[in-house]
Amino acid sequence: MRLQLILILAVLTGSCVSIKAQQPLPDSIPVSTLDSLRPSLPVDAHFLLSYYEQDGNHSAVTGGTGTEELQDIASRIIVNVPVDSVTRISVDLGMNHYTSASTDRIDSRISSASRKDNHVEMYFGYEKDIPKRKMTYGLNAGGSIESDYLSTSAGGKWSKMSENENREIMVGAQVFLDTWVLIFPEELRTVASQQVHTDKRRSYSVSVRFSQVLNRRMEAQATAELVYQHGLLSTPFHRVYFENEDMARIEKLPESRWKYPVGLHLNYFVTDWLVLRSYYRFYADDFGIIAHTARLETPLKFSPFFALLPFYRFHNQHASDYFAPFAAHLQGEEFYTSDFDLSSFSSRKMGMAARYAPLRGLARFKLRESVLRLRSVEIRYARYRRSDGLEANMGTLHLAFILP
Amino acid sequence: MLVFIAGCEPVKQYQKQYLNDEDMQLQNRESELFGIEVDGYREGASGANGGKTGGGCGCN
Repeated sequence: MRLQLILILAVLTGSCVSIKAQQPLPDSIPVSTLDSLRPSLPVDAHFLLSYYEQDGNHSAVTGGTGTEELQDIASRIIVNVPVDSVTRISVDLGMNHYTSASTDRIDSRISSASRKDNHVEMYFGYEKDIPKRKMTYGLNAGGSIESDYLSTSAGGKWSKMSENENREIMVGAQVFLDTWVLIFPEELRTVASQQVHTDKRRSYSVSVRFSQVLNRRMEAQATAELVYQHGLLSTPFHRVYFENEDMARIEKLPESRWKYPVGLHLNYFVTDWLVLRSYYRFYADDFGIIAHTARLETPLKFSPFFALLPFYRFHNQHASDYFAPFAAHLQGEEFYTSDFDLSSFSSRKMGMAARYAPLRGLARFKLRESVLRLRSVEIRYARYRRSDGLEANMGTLHLAFILP
Repeated sequence: MLVFIAGCEPVKQYQKQYLNDEDMQLQNRESELFGIEVDGYREGASGANGGKTGGGCGCN
């Protein structure tokens, strides 16, 4: 019996050794194989639909007076696709259709083609992480088109985290190469073409962003940008009226502009049901505009799946050196505008969003080999009032999808 | 700024349950994007907020 057990053990041991000997030792597993062994990374997609309406009485098309009534319906699709564990691509496609009572007054025919327009834009992004160095770099490119404006852009960014991932610095650059389709006010088309020397607008910006974890419940981010624009910076179909002149002129602004915005975010997780998201921006440019913007949002979490997000935004700006209201410009001014967007004013925007994001999603849509899940829905409303009388309402619907 | 940073409490990855909350993200929400764009169209100031700082539109 003992001998039989010994023989059985010997056979089993021999077979194990022989089996081991038959299996070659694995080489280092390539990254692509490692990625195929991990669960596939989900694709997330966002669908946004927005309605915007405004009205006021200082249209720049008619020299700083007249209706500013406008309606805009906009839609946008953003898709983020992880190519592998360190690489992501994104696509951002937007379309909007707007009708404007003020641009309808570019010529004398009311309810003409200038009353409405469509805008389409598409941007592509690419990001890659370098985990060993805690670095990420990204590239983007895209463009937009509407009846009077064509734009192409490209940019890049680089970011690095600290070893403990409590700090991050990001440096980015962006360039826009734009072209106006010159459309002048009907009665000024002969003289306007002599005043405008280019249909190009070039915009270059560099930005630095610094993020810091302050403690377990608080983090901050500071952003500084430097922007330079040159080319046709005025709007070809904006009219400007002068004292003691019956005939308008078209808006004329310098052909270069420097902008210096600086922003600060501060977020604080107060309790499980309250978060404070705050933001402040200081802005200055060499047109003479100085502005301060502050925003506060206070997400209220009624459950892990439902939150209300009230917000309030205040903006105050000092006018451009080149601004004067209707028929207030004087002879001899080199640059002039009656666009109230460049005037002195304060504005207030307040509203609320509601977000519902249950754990298992709201709906599932069967695709060929996978299931698209509606992860969350958010509805947002904002009311905007400017001190010169412009008022606006905006509603946004956001649907977030995930494709595992 | 350096003094401010020096006073920060280092937080380990497993201690970031509050910082990783969806509402603590420093980037703009997708639902805020339209509003940020429109603010840039009707005001003279733009930038430092994740939106366009100039270019891409016939606006100021």
